[in-house]
Amino acid sequence: MPRKKRRQPDDFNEEEFRGFLNTYLSEAFPNRQRIGCPPDSDLQRMAECPVEARDAEISEHLTYCSPCFRRYMEILAGLKRKA
Amino acid sequence: MTTDDSTNSLRLNSVDRHGRHIDPAALAAAEAVFQRALELAINLGIDYAVVANMLEEVAAEASLQLTWRAGVCEAEPIRNLPGYVFRAFERDINRLKRKEIALLDDDTPRYTLAQRWVDPSRQLEMKVLSDECLARFDFEVGDICSRWMAGYSWDEIGKIHGISGHAAELRFWNAVRRMRKQLAKRKKSLLRTTRTDPNEELKPAMRTDAQKEETSA
Repeated sequence: MPRKKRRQPDDFNEEEFRGFLNTYLSEAFPNRQRIGCPPDSDLQRMAECPVEARDAEISEHLTYCSPCFRRYMEILAGLKRKA
Repeated sequence: MTTDDSTNSLRLNSVDRHGRHIDPAALAAAEAVFQRALELAINLGIDYAVVANMLEEVAAEASLQLTWRAGVCEAEPIRNLPGYVFRAFERDINRLKRKEIALLDDDTPRYTLAQRWVDPSRQLEMKVLSDECLARFDFEVGDICSRWMAGYSWDEIGKIHGISGHAAELRFWNAVRRMRKQLAKRKKSLLRTTRTDPNEELKPAMRTDAQKEETSA
């Protein structure tokens, strides 16, 4: 009798991933010289209305600049509170 | 931001990051307290660039105060401008620190330092997946990811991108799943190329013994 293939349990945890990503982006890229950081107004604009043609560079910058990432998270949290 | 002159003193810009002009008197006062402000900020674990930005902002606000007080006859002038700037800076930096602490204590799960090193291989897997996602996510999925991390609901995220909450959720998780699949494939092929016969290193006689043991078990 053919054995039914048992599915391997997936140990991927969404909340763990979110927590890790948050900590990683907030701490791993200090960028103390603030090289290439966009002004606050640009972060605010992207948080309010993201447009790829305009904000692609900022979006990429957030993936390797922890201070900007933390600021962007603050702006997003502020907008969420207002809404 | 800041500039250094030949005497290596700490200098600020005459315009803050919001484009507001700083009065020369307020700028001089801010530069006079820069060193003290920096020491305070370093003790709180705050970045040099943030201090400069914040001092420029405080100086710009002090400039507005100076202009207003000059225009109103009854208003008392600011007697100790450097002291005024420093107190305003202290207030702002404490507010920033409180916000940072609030952000760390919010509902979003975060790792404590102790937890982070509990399972290094798992952490490495997470790091590899994170790097892969950050490098390969397109603009839309990247933005969905940021808002998901900030605690937005899928409906809120979908609304911003003009799609349903369910579609936003699917787009994000499908992208993550794709990354995980690719990583799993790479891991498998890496294992295949590095795996060797466990008895290969043994002498022929010993190999037979070991194989015998395996079959009897």
